[in-house]
Amino acid sequence: MEVQLAWRLFKRELLQGQLLLIVLAITLAVLSVTGLARVSERLQIAINGQASKFIAADRIINSPVKIDESILAKASELGLNRVSSVQFNSMVFADDKFQLVTVRAVEDGYPLKGKIELNNKAGVSYSALPKTGHLWFETRLGGLLAYPKQLELGNKQFTLSAEIARLPDAGFNPFASSPVVLMRMEDVASTGVIQPGSRVTYLAQFTGDEAQLTEFETYAKPLLNSSQRWVDVQSGDSPIADAVKRAERFLLLASLLGIALACAAIGIAAQRYCQRHYDVVAMLKTFGASAKQIRTLFGVHLLLVTFFGVILGLIGGFALDAGITAFLPDEIAAYSPPLTRPILLGLATGFISAFMFSAYPLMRLLSIPPLRVLQRQLEGLQLGMWLHLLLSLSAMALLGYLYSKSLPLTLTVVAGVLLLGLLLSVLGFLMIRAGHSVGMKTTNPLQLALAGLRRRAKQNAIQLVGFSSALVLLLTILALRQDLLSEWQNQLPENAPNYFLVNIAPDESESLAEFLSKNTVKTTDIYPVIRGRLTEINGEELISGEQADEGVEGRRGISRELNLTWRDALPENNELIEGEFNVNDDDVSVESGVAERLGIEIGDSLTYVIDNQTLRVNVGSIRMVHWETLQPNFFMVFTKHSLSSFAHTSMASFYLDEDKPEVILQIIKQFPTVSIIDVGNMIKQLRQIIDQVSLSLTLVLVLVVLASSLVMIAQTEAGMATRQRELAVLRTFGASGWLLRMATGLEFAILGAIAGLLAVIVAEFTLYLLKTQVFELNVYMHWEWWGIAPVCGALIVALLGVWRCRQLLSKSCGELLKTPV
Amino acid sequence: MSEISAITVKGLIKSVATQEGELTILNGINMEVKQGESVAILGPSGSGKSTLLGLLAALDSPTSGEIVLDGEALQHMDEEGKAALRKRKVSFIFQSFMLVDTLNALENVMLPAELAGIDKAKEKAEAMLTRVGLSHRLTHFPNQLSGGEQQRVAIARAFICEPKVLFADEPTGNLDAANSQKVADMLFELNRESDTTLVLVTHDLVLAKRCERQLLMDSGELTEKSATSAQNESIESPVGLHSVEAS
Repeated sequence: MEVQLAWRLFKRELLQGQLLLIVLAITLAVLSVTGLARVSERLQIAINGQASKFIAADRIINSPVKIDESILAKASELGLNRVSSVQFNSMVFADDKFQLVTVRAVEDGYPLKGKIELNNKAGVSYSALPKTGHLWFETRLGGLLAYPKQLELGNKQFTLSAEIARLPDAGFNPFASSPVVLMRMEDVASTGVIQPGSRVTYLAQFTGDEAQLTEFETYAKPLLNSSQRWVDVQSGDSPIADAVKRAERFLLLASLLGIALACAAIGIAAQRYCQRHYDVVAMLKTFGASAKQIRTLFGVHLLLVTFFGVILGLIGGFALDAGITAFLPDEIAAYSPPLTRPILLGLATGFISAFMFSAYPLMRLLSIPPLRVLQRQLEGLQLGMWLHLLLSLSAMALLGYLYSKSLPLTLTVVAGVLLLGLLLSVLGFLMIRAGHSVGMKTTNPLQLALAGLRRRAKQNAIQLVGFSSALVLLLTILALRQDLLSEWQNQLPENAPNYFLVNIAPDESESLAEFLSKNTVKTTDIYPVIRGRLTEINGEELISGEQADEGVEGRRGISRELNLTWRDALPENNELIEGEFNVNDDDVSVESGVAERLGIEIGDSLTYVIDNQTLRVNVGSIRMVHWETLQPNFFMVFTKHSLSSFAHTSMASFYLDEDKPEVILQIIKQFPTVSIIDVGNMIKQLRQIIDQVSLSLTLVLVLVVLASSLVMIAQTEAGMATRQRELAVLRTFGASGWLLRMATGLEFAILGAIAGLLAVIVAEFTLYLLKTQVFELNVYMHWEWWGIAPVCGALIVALLGVWRCRQLLSKSCGELLKTPV
Repeated sequence: MSEISAITVKGLIKSVATQEGELTILNGINMEVKQGESVAILGPSGSGKSTLLGLLAALDSPTSGEIVLDGEALQHMDEEGKAALRKRKVSFIFQSFMLVDTLNALENVMLPAELAGIDKAKEKAEAMLTRVGLSHRLTHFPNQLSGGEQQRVAIARAFICEPKVLFADEPTGNLDAANSQKVADMLFELNRESDTTLVLVTHDLVLAKRCERQLLMDSGELTEKSATSAQNESIESPVGLHSVEAS
């Protein structure tokens, strides 16, 4: 019987729109979780997929010695795809010419991700691997050796059969001084180039699913020695590692906040839902319903409401995913992550949040005394807010953990939400108290509004927490999204250089610059490049990694030569962290990461060896370099005075429209020794990734906006019962419709304005913490918000309030007294 | 009317704690209502009429004293026991109708029958609504019915379980004169037909006079009055004849 009755009540209340708010709140929570879980999983895979093309694999082991067979065997055992290759430098000879090249010898299966791009007459084509006895070469080698047919490498003659436009894992290194040739692994032995003691890099590349890769990582990483490196898309070698990391953090944080907001909406709606049923429970008890009957009835009723909300939420979540997928490239859209996790998460979210947030209001509902039928002011148990808070926070924590699988992050968000609530409650209550001195005349709408705020100080403080929490989270997510997007936009501005010219001889610099300007090509800058090695800091000799492994004591240096340059002014995209940039002739500016790693400080003396000569300089400044920008970046920047006496070449970068390929051909013809590096495709791929990430950020923002709006609507709804009684009284005493409408509008507007102001204060503080502790973004004040947020808060809340009260305001006092709320 | 007692009250006291100290609302009430009898409780606002009604109907517990409802002593019952008693023996009519606004007329009438597990609740509810002249309004919701119609639905709901005792709190308090008359006619007619004991709290002397006995409640004490003296006392009270206040 109770089930039947519950079903009947549910059906009727649903059709009459009384369950709209709670169903919407549950739907939104489920939709957010399901949709976000699915979309972010899809985007994650898409982003990682794109990113892994930059390393031609999911994971790489990079080693100066042969990689332990047991590690490779483990990869095979786990079902990972793997391919090995070696890389070394060697001289090649063609007729009477010779050139130092970087040889990359690969085996079948390479590349595991991405494609080898070849240049041919028809443009760019993709191919598998060179045949045995054949070499493929980088375009600039052709220019340097005058396009020979054959080439000698060690003891073997090779046929040059194709021109490489780009290897997928070539990375971005305009300083690579030697061109690359690609050959098959089987041919390496016959060249006789690799001898014991030769400097060779061994690479093992792997692909597989996440579970396999994680297991492999757990097994293999501890077995690597300090000279072997574990590389994945986020380990810094990929130009988008940082973007991916930040996007992941943002998505997770914003999703958690979105879920917290949707849960808050459920909490408020549940309270209203229960209040609406106070009379029904009192009446059922009056007619003799037992406690068990009422428990069953409302348990089933809430179950039906939740089930309905969950179903709508799941449908909405998948519709959202389908909508987003329609905007994704086909190859990404084709990938469909398993449905289990989003569905389970959606179900858990709906039921956990609905029942845990409703538990306290439901307990109060079930304890409504039957005597309420005669004494309407009677309410149920007052168990204390702590119980409600405890249940709500537990629900939030449980859901947060299920979603993020990270306990520290979940606890941080829950603690943050709790602190935010406490802070806003105190601030809100103080602000409303401050308005206590205002008088109370019932002819002036403003005074009436202020009096209303004062009368309902406690309820208004709660409403204020709801309104301002929604606004705080909205502003925070809005600002973070904007900052991340503009950061990425700066990384790849519209006309980011898509070509690099390297090996420009000093006597070619001028004529090349002239040629470029004549051909309306905008050159960003020309940098001199000199190779040198850092050997001492403050007179203390630095040791290599290998020496450190062998037990030699001392400060570790950088085990390779660096590209050095000179500049009069701080390079664009660099930020000065400490000191002044190259003021004295013997100053050097050091990149912050290297400075930290080597313990370099301002005023330290650094010794370099360049062309067998020693150069001693002092650290004048420390800079932060944005390595993710496709720009020439340097660890060490000297003054012209220090470096100009050394032999150097130069490099330049420029942007060229795609419709001007003839300019490149002319450069090749006129400046045959200058090497051209085309990064256009790499930029396109990066843009694609950033577009996908932006899309996900926008999606999260939309969901947060929806959740915030719902919290605000629910919060407005929550105060309707008291408001209706007051309106009835004021109406009875002859207050005009205009006066009541104005007073109601003003009361909500003042509440909204205070909420807006509070939200800005708290949002600035939250952003400061998030930007400095989590996202490593620049901190600045959003002064425009200080005006916009209170005004928008006032407008939104006033509109919501007046809209919700419009029916009440148009009723007579008799109707107001009778209408159930 | 039989000689069997439907309600027996002895030394009933109800006090509540207030900021100013303990306030005694009912001060040692003694009364008896016979089975099938109709009794009106009159009195000014705040005199304790509704408090007494709540106690008699097992909706509230007294500070001290005894109430025996249809042979069952209330003071030994817990809340569940009282609920079970109400389900079997008691019914109500309220001034503000107290219909569930999301259920239609038929469903509202079915509600107590379903709670009590009575078979063919729907058919019985239809019959009751036909009996109160609302057969054409079965699927109407409370907000689609007039005040008089809503109270007739409430009357149908009150009689569907064939209660032993019916408590009515200002049943015509929210109605105009014409509707009051109609609703009262229906209430007394059904009461007579089903031989139900009726305890009615009202300000309406006309309605009170239709009951077999009138009791006057004043300052927490109950006295039996003749209809005429009750009328005189009530007219002197500031509340008036048709106050909307249920106290």
